[in-house]
Parts: sequence; C-alpha cells; structure tokens
Amino acid sequence: MKVNVDGVELELPAGTSAIDAVFEAGGDVPYFCAHKYLSPVGACRMCLVESGSPRKEKDGSFVMDDATGQPKIFWFPKPMASCTMQATDGMHIKTARSSEVVAKAQAGMMEFTLLNHPLDCPTCDKGGACELQDRAFEYGYGASRFGFDRRHADKHYPLSDFVILDQERCIHCKRCVRYFEEVPGQEVLDFIERGGHTFIDTEEGGLPTGFQGNITDICPVGALLDNVARFRGRNWEYDHTPTTCTLCPVGCSITVDARNGRLERIVARENREVNEAWICDAGRFGHAFASERRLTVPLVRVNGELQETSWDGAIAAIRAGMAGRNAADLALYLNADSTLEEGVALEALADAMGTRHVDHWPRYEVALDAMPNGAATLSDVATADAVVVVGADLGEEAPILELRILEMLRGGLLPPEYTHGTAIADLRLVERPARDPQKLAVVGKESRLWGHAGIRASSNGHNALERLSQPDTAELQAALKLLTDSEKAIIVLGADVLNGASGSFAAQLSDLATRTGAKVMAIPAGANSKGLAALNLVPREGGLPYARVAEAPAAFISRLDPGVRARGLTIVHDSHLTATARLADVVLPAVTGYEKRGTTVNLEGRLLELEQAALSAGEAADLIRTLSAVSEALGLRAPVRGLKGARDLAAQRLGIKLGGLPERGVIHPLRTAHVAPTEQVYTPQLWTERMQPSIQTLIPANLQPLPMLGAAPVGGDD
Amino acid sequence: MSYFADKQPLVADIFSRYPDSPQGRRSALMPLLREVQDAEGFVNGSRMDEIAALCGTTATEVRSVMSFYSTYHTLPTGRYHLQVCSTVMCSLAGSDELWDHLVAELDVQSGEVSADGRFSVQKVECLGSCGTAPLMQINDDGYYENVTPGKCARILASLRADLQPLPDNPVPVTVNAEGRQVLASGEAVGASVTGLSQLPAISGGEA
Ligand code: SF4
Ligand code: SF4
Ligand code: FES
Ligand code: FES
Repeated sequence: MKVNVDGVELELPAGTSAIDAVFEAGGDVPYFCAHKYLSPVGACRMCLVESGSPRKEKDGSFVMDDATGQPKIFWFPKPMASCTMQATDGMHIKTARSSEVVAKAQAGMMEFTLLNHPLDCPTCDKGGACELQDRAFEYGYGASRFGFDRRHADKHYPLSDFVILDQERCIHCKRCVRYFEEVPGQEVLDFIERGGHTFIDTEEGGLPTGFQGNITDICPVGALLDNVARFRGRNWEYDHTPTTCTLCPVGCSITVDARNGRLERIVARENREVNEAWICDAGRFGHAFASERRLTVPLVRVNGELQETSWDGAIAAIRAGMAGRNAADLALYLNADSTLEEGVALEALADAMGTRHVDHWPRYEVALDAMPNGAATLSDVATADAVVVVGADLGEEAPILELRILEMLRGGLLPPEYTHGTAIADLRLVERPARDPQKLAVVGKESRLWGHAGIRASSNGHNALERLSQPDTAELQAALKLLTDSEKAIIVLGADVLNGASGSFAAQLSDLATRTGAKVMAIPAGANSKGLAALNLVPREGGLPYARVAEAPAAFISRLDPGVRARGLTIVHDSHLTATARLADVVLPAVTGYEKRGTTVNLEGRLLELEQAALSAGEAADLIRTLSAVSEALGLRAPVRGLKGARDLAAQRLGIKLGGLPERGVIHPLRTAHVAPTEQVYTPQLWTERMQPSIQTLIPANLQPLPMLGAAPVGGDD
Repeated sequence: MSYFADKQPLVADIFSRYPDSPQGRRSALMPLLREVQDAEGFVNGSRMDEIAALCGTTATEVRSVMSFYSTYHTLPTGRYHLQVCSTVMCSLAGSDELWDHLVAELDVQSGEVSADGRFSVQKVECLGSCGTAPLMQINDDGYYENVTPGKCARILASLRADLQPLPDNPVPVTVNAEGRQVLASGEAVGASVTGLSQLPAISGGEA
C-alpha cells in the first residue's frame, strides 16, 4: 500500500493509521488522546491532517487529473483526525509542514484546548514532561484571544492515596478512562457532567489497587499526579536511569528518577515483550524505602551494642569472629532478587571456602525448565487462546502477568511495530473491548483474576495439578477441556502449587503438557530465582538450607530477614537495619535493587539488565564487593572481585555473555542446576514489610477522604 | 433497602427490550434510572450501585450517564421542580433575570429544596422552544412560555397554594406506532407530516 505524506511516498502495511503513516514518513503530528496501547477515539482533535484519496471510475480505472496525468486526488473538505483514520492505498496526507490549513486548524485547536486550562505550568509537577505544554509551544499561536475567567474545578482532588487529580487541568482526552476500561478491566473512572462542566471522577470510593498508577504516566497534562512523587522535583532535575524492577519475577522496564541522591519517582518504560507500557503499583509507589532510614556505614557489635565503623573495622571484626573457626563453617545465604553476577560471585566464593551451607531464598524445590512444549513467554500468554492459572495469586506473585492474561481475554492484539516504534493508533483496538472469559480458567483460591475467569475451580494447592489432570468436578473438567481443545494453551503455576512440589510433580506436569500441548509458565518465587537456579546455590551434601540458618555455625545473610541469628558469628548484609541485622555481630550496608548493575532473569527466562541509579547510599556495597571484603577477612583471595570478573565467570559457567543486552532483553534457556529441599513454605508478598511503613509516612495527613455517595462501593473488581 | 428486589417482573420486562448480551444489559441503564427517578424523585448513591449491579457495570458509569442528562437528579427535588432554560435565546429574552428572581424569591439555590419542601430550581439547556422564550418547565408537566415577571408572580402564587396552573404547552410523552407524539392521556400533540393540511394553490403565474 502506497501512501504519500507531505510529498514523501512510502510503502506501508495495510491497516496502518494515518497518524502512523505520518510518523513513519518522518513527520510529526501533535496528539493527546491517542495512546499506543489504548483504543483510538479521536477525542482531542489535535492530530488533524488534510487527506485525500484517488477515486475509481466504474470500470476500475482511476479518475485521472488532466493537468498532471496522475490519478486525481479527491480531498476531504475539512482536516481529519489522523488517529482514527485508516491510511488507504494511494492516499495523500498533508501535515502542518506542508499545509497551512492544518497549521491553522491545529493552532486553533490548541487555543480551544487551552480555553479553560488553568495555565498553572509554573507550579504544575508535570512541567518538563507535559505533552500539552510541549505541543502548545510547537503548534500553538503563542497568544490567546480569550481573556475571560476560566473554569474552576477541584484541585488536589484525591482519587486514592496514590493518585491526585487536578480537575481544572484535565483536557478530557479520556486516556485514563479508557485505560481502566481496557487494560485492567475496571471501569472506575468516567466523565461526569457534560460540555464545559465535564470532569473526571469515580463513584467507586477510590481507585482499585494493583495498577492504578499507570494513569499518572499516560495523562498528557498534569491532571493526574503520582502522590508519592509530586512536589519533589521537576523532570529536568531528575537523573533518569533506565533499569529493571526486581520486586517480582516479571522484570518490568522502569525508569528510576533520582534527585540529590534520593529516589523520588519510578515511571514505566515501554518494553513490548514484557510490560508493554504498564507497571504495577508496588513497582511504582513502593520505592520510598530506598531513600529512607538507609544503612550507610558498617556496624559492629561492641559490648553488646551495634556501633558504626569503617569497612576495615568490619573486616577486622569478621576476622576476629571467625578466629578458631573454619571458613567452611560460614553459611552463605542470599536473596533471590540478587543479580546473576552476584550469584556467580557467591557460588565461586562458596566453592573456594568449601562451605556446604549455601542457599538462596525464596525458591521452590522443583525444576520445571524441561517442559515438552517449551517455556511460555509473556507475549505467548497475551496471544494464547486459553490460559489456566493454577494456585497463583498474581497480584502478589507477578502482577503484570495478570494484565497480559487480560490482554488475552480481549483478543490478544499485540500492536504492530513500525520503525518509529509501536503503532500510535492501532485501529483494531476498540473502546469497551469484548472479552471472552471462557478462555480463562482459574484453579485455586479466590484472587483478583478470579473475577475475570469464565471457569473457576476452588482447590488446594498441593493436589491442584493432580486434580486438574484427573478432574473430579465439572469446573476442573471444563478447565482441562479448555486446555485440550485449544491450540495455544498456557498453564500458569503459582506459589500454592509450587510450594512443596516434589520430584514427581515435574513428571506430572510434563505429562499434562504433552497431553494438552500447553506451554508452561511457572512463576518463580523470587525476582531472579530463575537465574540463580542455574547456579549451584543450594545446600550441598549435609548443608543447612536457609530455613535452618539458626543452626549454622556462622552465617553471612545478604538482604534476607529470617529474624534469627546463627549460632556463631552472624554477618548481615542489608540496606536497612532489619530485625536480623539488630541481632547480628557485623552489619554491612547493602545497595538496593535500584543501585546495582547486573543481570536478572525474569519468569520467561529473559535476561534483563539493571543499571545503577544515582542514589546516596553512603558506603553501601553490592554483594560482589561485599563478598570480596568477606573473603579478605577469611584470608582467601576472592575468586570474583568485580562486575567484569563475574561476567567472565558467568560466560564460563553458563555459556552466556552478560552485559550490553538489548533493551528488551533476550530469552536464554537456563537449566536448573540443582534442587534441594527448602524445609519452608514460601508465601509471596509483594509489598514487603520494609515497603509498607514508608507509604504511610508519605500520605499527607491533610488529604480529604473521597466523597462517597454509596455506603459501600459495589462493582469494580476490587 | 434495595429498590428493585421486589420488582423482578418489571426488571425482567425492561431487560427484555434489549439484546441478551453484556452490551444489551448496559442499555437498560436509562429505563432503570427513569424508574427510580419517577418513584423517588431522585437517584441516590445506593440506587446507582444497585442499577450498576443489575446492568453489570460500575456505579461510576451509571453516574457518568446520569450526569450527562439534566433530567436525572442525585439530590431530592421539591414538589415543584422549576427548570429555567438558560441557553442563549432564553437568556436574551430575560431568563437570567428570571433565575435571579426565583432564587431570591424562593430562597433556594441549585441542589436545594425550599424550607417548605415545595420548590427546587435548576438551570437547563435549550428546551427547544426558543420562539417562546423565556421558558420554564415545572416537573415533567410541561412548558410555561414567555415567563414575564408578572406571569412568574402568578405562577408562584398558585404553586404556593398548591394549585399548579396548566402549562402553556404540555410535554409530549411518547411516540406512538404512527409516529405521533401523544400525551399520557392519549391526546395527540405536535404536528405530523401525514396530518398536514393541503396548502392553498398559489394563484397567478404559470409555474
Ligand atoms: S485526567 Fe488526564 S488522562 Fe484523564 S481525561 Fe483528563 S487529561 Fe486525559
Ligand atoms: S509487575 Fe513485578 S516487575 Fe513489574 S513493576 Fe510490578 S513488581 Fe516490578
Ligand atoms: S483526536 Fe486526539 S489524537 Fe487524534
Ligand atoms: S433557548 Fe430556551 S428554549 Fe431554546
């Protein structure tokens, strides 16, 4: 299909929208209401272009233009919204670059949009990232003919604890309304009143928790603001660090915004393969702990009290504490959100020390990476024709996976991609999309996803898989039939079934997968459990698992909080003074997941990179550097002393080259190296304890509660 | 207390007018709102919740639809709900003054009910009778046209005595099978193409 944009002829796939045609031609059109992952509605009328098409005679030949000898172009009499118009073969499009009519129409539209806008840009937190401001500058007249009093509506109107709405600033693009309808499937926002009085509000008594923060990213003006971040800095003052969220195994692409060494804001970064344009509320709002009450220097216990010291002091204390003990007596435990590089370093040190007590937590004791139809990717989930979720609470385990499943229910349309990026207006997306709940079965306990499923079967975790394979109820039969009858089925497994899954579990699962042709996605327990499982980080012969840390002769515990100490010397490496740290002999300050470089492996087996944000963390160190210090204290030469060394070793150990990965990550099949009993059940919890108090302190006490008309909110999904 | 719990036949009847699909269910929103409004005079939050549950949608959407129409109320209205057209024709013909007069005289603002429970006032958009501006509608009963200060005083006086003067133009309520608008009484109102009388022939001149 040939399209001509401002005189540039280009070849485009059928179905391309006019706005994408313009961007593909290297042109520009201002737009407010169009959004890559939402249905195009043509609400803002900013994306105007002039367009025309050739017309055919009855005999199928083109109506020719006598003057040029070319097919005659019949122009629409008025400028058209390019986001809702499909480009057709032979279409001519003129943007403001080549059409004065368009330039004037857009400037006029801008004037109209700003008619009632409060113009409080000097005090608005969106300044520096506001599409309205930028586009007004680029496409507006630069002056207004309207000098009357502007509309006044509520400012600082809390939609929830996390999201504040400024009704005056809203330009009625409907992005937030469409987001809730189309993405999490919760119609909790809408236009109230009409005409010039229209404002955004909810009748549900607040926004549902889970994915509400995304509307603060997509609001093109400063109407919806992230309450955790607002009034803390301007866009240009932040250091923007693109990195990966390590709160759960989805591994969403995020940007960490820091200012003066404080982590002030997290926003979603597009990754078509993983999180599309969304992140969960924990990922967005749960970051305050990273800049609060941090441990910045090592502590050692002197006369029963923890006292600040230097790293040298800490090393001396470890050396003294280990005197008379063997290096092999020191147990090593690390958090499963540690990077692959950190895991490699710890594995190497454990080998050098000869310790049997090694473990990472959380983890399950089953290896599921040899499934017959391969591991499912998130895009597989979104485009599947059936998904059966067994024993999972996605809200706690992998929130964005829930959105990809909901995407599947509304047809699994992945937006097309052009050289300018994801399609700005995918005309196949519609408002209030039809959903097919019959494609989703949820087996297990009630969860948020439960409400979206057409097939629901309550079941206990431990025998859920067995019961699904040999269904004993009508619901389970329906779930199994769903798997068998579909072409691209996916089985998602969560904590309830994976906890305590034994050796026969993998065989059972593999059998079910073979019978049904389904792909499997087992949600790992920790953010990087999948990566760390490829290393030997489980108790060796006779070693103590993490659950038995209290029995260890001595222990080094990195960013885990079991609440007990080892029998002998206890070294805690953490970013905060946790309960365990208070019991320790030596406390070493650790960096958080936001301040690390390295690689994490998400639930698909996708390698994703972490970057270091500019946070002030004093003398805190990542695990690799900390382990060098520990080995120094033990009188050993650390096998790995830096990121590069760890990457070299990872190349030898795992045959993968880390560093310099593409932005979307790459899938690498990693095989579980060793499994061992955990002796402990793992209950996933996304908002960990250390994230909890910080949210509370951030919510200003003077926020007014939402006005509620009904006694109890009914409807919605939460 | 639920409104529709004991009105299952009514609810079933309303739903039967629409396709049996999620979209169809949502379409029943307006008649359900009308039902509550007619019975209670306004639709409060818990009624919105109830209607949302019936239609398979959220209270937010119900309120969104409701608030689009000035005929639905979220707050109680007086026995006489005076709706003053405030669009440009009426405004040019003095509806702003009429509004100011009503608000002062009855001591009510939008959203309030006068102390005696008789009056509430509301500004509405063009009532479609611009030629007889300024225009006022009382309840659903009909149009009071050319409401001059004198006429307004007479109307208020009789309303205070609970004697509502007949409207100048009763509001048509339904459209019958022939496409005619008729009152609840069955009396035909307005015009219809079929009912138009033949225009007299133009005399003089050929064509
Ligand atoms: S609040 Fe923002 S996203 Fe929502 S309609 Fe208004 S301008 Fe658009
Ligand atoms: S879904 Fe997981 S990875 Fe994504 S933002 Fe939330 S916690 Fe982070
Ligand atoms: S009308 Fe808003 S982007 Fe096209
Ligand atoms: S302007 Fe009042 S009826 Fe039209």
